[in-house]
Amino acid sequence: MASRPPLPAPTDSSAGVTGTPWGSAFVLGTGESVIATATFDLDASMRFTEGFLCLTDRRIIADPPASLEPDPVSPAPSSGPVWWHLDDTSSLDLRIRGGVGRIELLAAGRVVARWMFSLAQAKGMHALKDAFEQRPSRQRQQTPRPAAAPLSTGNDEGDGSEPDEGGEVTHPEPHAIHRRDQAGDDDADDLPTTGTPSWRMLVRLAPFARPYLGPALIGLGLSLAGTVAVLVPPYLTMPLVDRVLIPRQAGEAVPFSLVWWYLGGLVISAVVAWILSWAQLWVLAWVSERVAAELRVKTYAHMQSLSLDFFAGKRTGDLISRISNDTDQINNFLSINLIGFLSDCLLVLLTAGVLVWLNPVLALVTLVPFPLVVWLVYLVRGRLQRGFSRSNIAWAEVASVLADTIPGIRVVKAFAQERREIDRFRSANDHVLHANDRVNTVWAFFGPMVSLFSEVGLLVVWAAGAWMVFQGSVTVGGLTAFLAYIARFYSRVESMVRMVPAAQRASASAQRLFEIIDCRPTVAEDPRPVRPGRVRGRIELSGVHFRYGTREILRGIDLVIEPGEMIGLVGSSGSGKSTLANLVCRFFDPSSGTVSADGTDLRRMAVTDYRRNLGCVLQEPLLFFGSVAENIAYGCPDAGTERVVAAARAAGAHEFILSLPNGYDSRVGERGGSLSGGERQRVSIARALLVDPAILILDEATSAVDAETEVVIQSAIDRLVKGRTTIAIAHRLSTLRRADRLVVLDAGRIVEIGTHDELLSRDGAYARLYNAQSQAAAEATAGP
Amino acid sequence: MPSPDPAHRPPASDSASGPLAPALGWRLVRRPHGHVDFVDGAGKVFSDVDVLRAFPVTAPQGPVAIVSADGDELAWLDSLENLPEALQSSLVAELATREFLPLIERIEAISDDDPQVWSVVTDRGQRRFILASIDDIDRLPDGSAFVVDATGVRYRIAAVAALDPTSLRLLEKTME
Repeated sequence: MASRPPLPAPTDSSAGVTGTPWGSAFVLGTGESVIATATFDLDASMRFTEGFLCLTDRRIIADPPASLEPDPVSPAPSSGPVWWHLDDTSSLDLRIRGGVGRIELLAAGRVVARWMFSLAQAKGMHALKDAFEQRPSRQRQQTPRPAAAPLSTGNDEGDGSEPDEGGEVTHPEPHAIHRRDQAGDDDADDLPTTGTPSWRMLVRLAPFARPYLGPALIGLGLSLAGTVAVLVPPYLTMPLVDRVLIPRQAGEAVPFSLVWWYLGGLVISAVVAWILSWAQLWVLAWVSERVAAELRVKTYAHMQSLSLDFFAGKRTGDLISRISNDTDQINNFLSINLIGFLSDCLLVLLTAGVLVWLNPVLALVTLVPFPLVVWLVYLVRGRLQRGFSRSNIAWAEVASVLADTIPGIRVVKAFAQERREIDRFRSANDHVLHANDRVNTVWAFFGPMVSLFSEVGLLVVWAAGAWMVFQGSVTVGGLTAFLAYIARFYSRVESMVRMVPAAQRASASAQRLFEIIDCRPTVAEDPRPVRPGRVRGRIELSGVHFRYGTREILRGIDLVIEPGEMIGLVGSSGSGKSTLANLVCRFFDPSSGTVSADGTDLRRMAVTDYRRNLGCVLQEPLLFFGSVAENIAYGCPDAGTERVVAAARAAGAHEFILSLPNGYDSRVGERGGSLSGGERQRVSIARALLVDPAILILDEATSAVDAETEVVIQSAIDRLVKGRTTIAIAHRLSTLRRADRLVVLDAGRIVEIGTHDELLSRDGAYARLYNAQSQAAAEATAGP
Repeated sequence: MPSPDPAHRPPASDSASGPLAPALGWRLVRRPHGHVDFVDGAGKVFSDVDVLRAFPVTAPQGPVAIVSADGDELAWLDSLENLPEALQSSLVAELATREFLPLIERIEAISDDDPQVWSVVTDRGQRRFILASIDDIDRLPDGSAFVVDATGVRYRIAAVAALDPTSLRLLEKTME
């Protein structure tokens, strides 16, 4: 008997799971080779365990044994591997339901062993079963073959040889981790207009702060009090020097207790200043968070109220960045810079007052460099503004590269253009880099420049102060205090100057937000709208023209659709079919003419009330992140489970939903790739069915699925259209066979109306389209 | 000879007899090895059927479907209440073998890797799994939470607030 290497005893060092470590080994027979391996992770009572299955060309070996008794041929040890011999009647049955998988070994139709596993092992088990079905017959297995090669079949699957770890190794599947872009401070101030953002934009933020006026005023009060408290210590050092230290040095008998008094005063004022600034920071940060949150919701809510054409003209990434990034910029500005600025202003004014009060001459000398600083700020502001504008334009470029390539990633990969896209991104990113470099150059020069001026200011005071002390017009203590004040004064001036770029940035952000808020929906709500309730579904279009930009898409449409009638819209692309459907949905209003439902102009109806009567099934069924049941109930969130199930049944979706791991509670959405196109479409049909619409729009509902799936979906649609006014758009004319009337559009005009047979006999545009399609279909079937 | 824990054997014996549901017109027949056959009103036998909850998360006591091995729906029960007792207990036992929702009792560690590796103790033993994204933690208004690992295995936390402080800290850290 050839001594074969024992099965790879899978080590389990990193998993750290308790249970039986697989130290066991067994011997393969002569010429026996391992075909596949898999792990199972549940025992008979469905507790986590670690088990190992090994398929050879003649046996299935399991360790530990499964939940069922092994056949009597095996040696049946109390622990360790157990095996079952395979013969022609052996089969494997694999089933996964409700999150638990089950694989059974059958001999002559009788179950001889069963193993349970969680979804983590599903891939490996499927691989094992596939290998089982393709395993070489016993006769051909007489010649020994190297064990390593077949073993790798299992290994290739990744799940095969490494128990428990296998599941973890294989699934770094793409997943959505939302990382906030932190590509620098100046990011995404994607300045949309060439005009420079003005301070007015920041003033417009004030109304959002109104609900928090009380706390804001408290914060300001605290800020004022804190500023005063900061000014106290230098004032105390003055008598400390003049009345205690200098007399003492001059040999006078000054009691040391006086020092304690002044020190105590200094400590108290420091503590008070600390408490006040803490309270002030907290209160104002609280307010600014709320202002920003309010702004975010207001902008988003307003965006939801805007019409479709607004979204058509905007990049998604840009809109997202406006709502998330720009509000954050404003929040930062309000909570850090604005508060700082206000208290700086206060402090500068108060300090200036104190300085003048202490010694007007010295104060005047001190303030000499100040106008210079103001002039510098003025100079730099313009440069910074231009710099930020450049940076914003560069950011817009980066955003547009991202907005292009992330949704289009399949195209990029299909054409193997990753490298080029990376280069495109890099060049856009370089522009940001250069623009930011310019801003930084200006700022790097300017920041220290202000520091230099404050240093100069100090020097001037020292010089003038020394001279005045010699003259006797100022005491040493007075000079000390003056110097302390002047240091505070200039440090605050410096930080005020730093506020300049922050304010520029925040006002740019505010402008971007107000751009959205200032947009008016083009589909305007009537001031005194008619609330239609449930409409009967008689739709009338009279003299409808529609222009999009300069293009005239519909040129005079007159059409009456009776309640319950199904209309098929036919025509080449660009003939205006979808536009017509969009007008009936009131996504747009006609440029001239009227669209009415039950005799009422749509423009006079409350928009959302009217749309409650609508159901839409679109070519690309968009499902949201959430469970299947939530998606079906999207138009009617409080629908009970019975209605959800009824809608799913009618849409032909019920049975495949039941087969999902968690039935109706299974998640679709971002990682819902598990639903096929046809399944997603059926879920979207169920969604439309649930709202029980009076008017139904089917826009190429079946064109994205294969012919076989189309049959299933078509029968679901047939149930859906019953008793509803339906407008169906389809390229494949065969899908419109149930339409009561077909409306043929060409270049924005109706060219023919009639039933399929009428139009065919008329031998016009429809007949040409139909013949072309059936001819193409015939050629396709006649071909190989 | 290893054999399954007798406590987890199906309650009915492995004989081919099953509770009848005359009012429903069909019955279930228990076969050896835990298989269940469905016999419809006309006497047609569907072997090895599945009993599934349609809303295992949001309505765990709600509708139950009986599905053939091919996935076709055979019977639908809005609830198990008001069923003949024998049938009800047999369905409950059947569901118990298919419902797999480990309850996380303790979180031992969450790695700082990306994606995170969780080590947990569940009511079904210890487990390590990968969490692909924090979107896969679903906190419900009732204070419970679901965690779906990267392979689709779903775990439940009965009450987040009732976790021990270490577990809670790890969980909160993840959600940040």
